[in-house]
Amino acid sequence: MIEINATIMAQILNFLILVVILRAVAYKPVVNMLKAREDKIAESLDKAEADKAEAGATLKKYQAQLAEARTKAQDIMDKAEKAARDERDASIAATKHEIEQLKKAAQEEIQRDREKAVAELKGEVVNLSMAAASKIIAKNISAADNEEIIGEFIAKLDKDKIGDLSC
Amino acid sequence: MHDIGVRETVQFAGFTFNWETLVMTWITMAVVILIAFLATRNLKMVPSGWQNVMEMVITGLHSQIDATLGKRGRDFAPLIISLFLFLLISNWLGLIPQMASPTNDLNTTLGLALLIIVMVHVLGLYFKGGHYIAHFFKPVPLFVVINAIEEVAKPITLAFRLFGNILAGEILIIILLKLMPIWMPVPSVIWLAFSIFIGGVQAFIFTMLSMAYLSNAVKEEHEE
Repeated sequence: MIEINATIMAQILNFLILVVILRAVAYKPVVNMLKAREDKIAESLDKAEADKAEAGATLKKYQAQLAEARTKAQDIMDKAEKAARDERDASIAATKHEIEQLKKAAQEEIQRDREKAVAELKGEVVNLSMAAASKIIAKNISAADNEEIIGEFIAKLDKDKIGDLSC
Repeated sequence: MHDIGVRETVQFAGFTFNWETLVMTWITMAVVILIAFLATRNLKMVPSGWQNVMEMVITGLHSQIDATLGKRGRDFAPLIISLFLFLLISNWLGLIPQMASPTNDLNTTLGLALLIIVMVHVLGLYFKGGHYIAHFFKPVPLFVVINAIEEVAKPITLAFRLFGNILAGEILIIILLKLMPIWMPVPSVIWLAFSIFIGGVQAFIFTMLSMAYLSNAVKEEHEE
């Protein structure tokens, strides 16, 4: 029942063959798979970390850009406002100037008209006075005296009354 | 099964072989390889089903091996796993009618035990050199006698424990079948169930003791 023979060697050999086969067929693939998974998990975690950092950086960049854009927009708006104000001021000044010029031109014209009217009136008054005086005084006074009296009268008129004429 | 204890032998190249043991060993190997192949043929990055079980077994064994054998232990993981699977299937194979366990032959168990013990000593010398020899003479040189007996006893106990358990189980199955009438199968069934348990336990014990012996040789002294 208990006899040791060459089977012992065969069994050792059989077992070693089994070890080699199992190692190749089953053990290696499983261990490699476990290792691969471990690596992949580590890699994924690293990548997630990197992605997070990158996302943070991108966010910061965008925020900076946004702030910059906001400042720029503010600048543009300020500039536009200033330009509009300047333009308005300029246009008001121009209008004022024009009005001033028109007023001046109108006043000059009025002045001219008045002077013309005064001159006409003067001539009229002289003629009327001459006619009236000559009728009243008839031939008593010489023409020279006549001229003098009328001139005096006219001068008085100029001084006091002419200002009352309506413009 | 034939008469208990009588073995068919074949002569090959001047050597005598127990034919039945060899055939059963090959069947066992085929079964083990088939199981291992089926369990690992479709490995995926995201595990499911049997792959989970396989990975659990291997990671569990890895941690066990790391704890027992230290950092060099990983190299021996395939050996340990193969040893356990081979013994388990061997022990259970004999419970199938018309089959016999390869482990009911002392040639098998002693062969494996000797393989382990030779490995232990060779690896011990390889990894630790003179230190390994010196530790047989501690604490006093006289202890070399006790140590020598222990070292001789290791493979013998390892081999005979397994051999005895399995052979006894198979013998009792045959005896029970012969003693009991066919309409009274309960004792046989109970013993069969117990034999399944014994097969697992013995495979486990053999493997664990092998690991323990190996750890003496492989594990570094200062390692945790």
